[in-house]
Amino acid sequence: MKRLGAFTLLVFALAGCNGGTVDDHALKRDAEKIASLATEGGLLANDVSKGASTKPFVSVHAQELSQAASNMSDALAERPTSPGIERDVRKLSRVAARVSRHLDQLHLHPTDRAVAASLKGPLARDADAANRLSK
Amino acid sequence: MKIFNIALGILAAIGGFVDIGDLVFNVSAGATFGYQLLWVVVIGVIGIIVYSEMCGRVAAVSGKAVFDAVRERLGFRTGVVALVSAQVVNLMTLTAEIGGIAICLQLLSGLPYRWLILLAGIGLGIVVWVTSFDWIERIFGYGGLCMLVFAVAAVKLGPDWGAVAHGFVPHMKTDSPLLYAYFAVGLLGAAMTPYEVYFYSSGGVEEQWGPKDLGLNKANAMLGYGLGGFLSFALMIVGGALFLGKGIEPEFLGTITLGVEVPLGQVGLLLALVGILFAVGGAAIDTMFSGAYNLAQFLGWEWGRYRHPSGAPRFTLTWIVLLVLALGAVMTGVDPVQLTEYAVIFSAVALPLTYVPILLVANDRAYMREYGNGRLANVFGLIYLVVIVIISVTAIPLMILTNGGQN
Repeated sequence: MKRLGAFTLLVFALAGCNGGTVDDHALKRDAEKIASLATEGGLLANDVSKGASTKPFVSVHAQELSQAASNMSDALAERPTSPGIERDVRKLSRVAARVSRHLDQLHLHPTDRAVAASLKGPLARDADAANRLSK
Repeated sequence: MKIFNIALGILAAIGGFVDIGDLVFNVSAGATFGYQLLWVVVIGVIGIIVYSEMCGRVAAVSGKAVFDAVRERLGFRTGVVALVSAQVVNLMTLTAEIGGIAICLQLLSGLPYRWLILLAGIGLGIVVWVTSFDWIERIFGYGGLCMLVFAVAAVKLGPDWGAVAHGFVPHMKTDSPLLYAYFAVGLLGAAMTPYEVYFYSSGGVEEQWGPKDLGLNKANAMLGYGLGGFLSFALMIVGGALFLGKGIEPEFLGTITLGVEVPLGQVGLLLALVGILFAVGGAAIDTMFSGAYNLAQFLGWEWGRYRHPSGAPRFTLTWIVLLVLALGAVMTGVDPVQLTEYAVIFSAVALPLTYVPILLVANDRAYMREYGNGRLANVFGLIYLVVIVIISVTAIPLMILTNGGQN
């Protein structure tokens, strides 16, 4: 049973590991994730701007997207990097922080169509910036 | 009105196919590979229909459910391994489903998550305590039909139907074959999740099926699991049509419902959330009862929700303990979506321990008399046994190699 427990822990550790050095592959994956969060935020903002969503849904979902972006920003600001990519990693951290701030606005104003409409452009630019860093 | 008696199949299938982890897994498969993995769902649906029909038939003819067969056919030692693995996966899944109910309630109400976890756990306990088995089936099975809004969303998103049709033909067009294999194994494992057959066969005994109900058993298995598969198709098509092109990686339940909100607006969103609430609630009841059924059948206790709690006290105590343990686990802050994805993969490892005894008993004329497996059922049963063994051997290595589907 002990061996089974240790094996299970190892599997969880290997499958869920998110720390360590940021290499090219990790930079690409994280940039794709941040672009995904920004694009999804843009879809949500678009629905809010059309009055096509509900207040609790927007508030809760925007907050969880914002939290995910914020966590990634914090991690990318601190984690060691492979040689030659540190600048891009820190830049991605700043993009993630911007995504988080924009999504926070959506979380705080879940029924404000004007705020939502004003966030679509910035979130699309954030997604583009993250996508460029994933290349 | 026999057509309305298929609530058991619908509940077992909705609980098995579209629980919280499967929702995200199916949409992620679409968002990652488009419609390429639709064929895997077809394979999974046929497999679960074959084995559910078999264990429903065993239940109808012999009055014995899956873990009676496990104990008798595998012996005590191997049976204990099957029991422990089943109970661990049941508890993981129940934990995740309670978290899923709370997330759903939060997306509907905006209230704090932790309070909603408590509400979900207490609400489940009350519903199961006061509601008869028939009404549990009807409420959660038919309530889960609101999930059909995903099929409407899939059509409204205007997918490339040629590509959708091509998805039903096995093919692989990707530079990540390991990831493709991980999703294929996960989808098959989810379709054939053991708690579906534990719940289904025990439900047949609860409903006091006899040989005259074999037609009803077939209808339940085919229509119920067929519907589960149909919902899986819809989820994958939504993922492929909306998220793939935009590069969105669905990791949250909110993302899945956004897939309905974008084409259908507020009404679509609310229907999707209500449907998910019933589906995830149904999955919680599937797993909670499965855990109690398994233990009671293995140890020879009195069991059944049709009995008064005082008529099956240890069975009743078992589901209450499972509910309390799961409630405690989800309060630690574990991510429900990730937890059920792990549960699907771990349950895949133990699949043969569930399905081999069913195949053996369904062939035993001492039990089954003239209702034993025919040639067709055995051919399919053996083919799927090979599939199950492949899934169980490859599930964990693929999870490690793909970093849990993240690579």
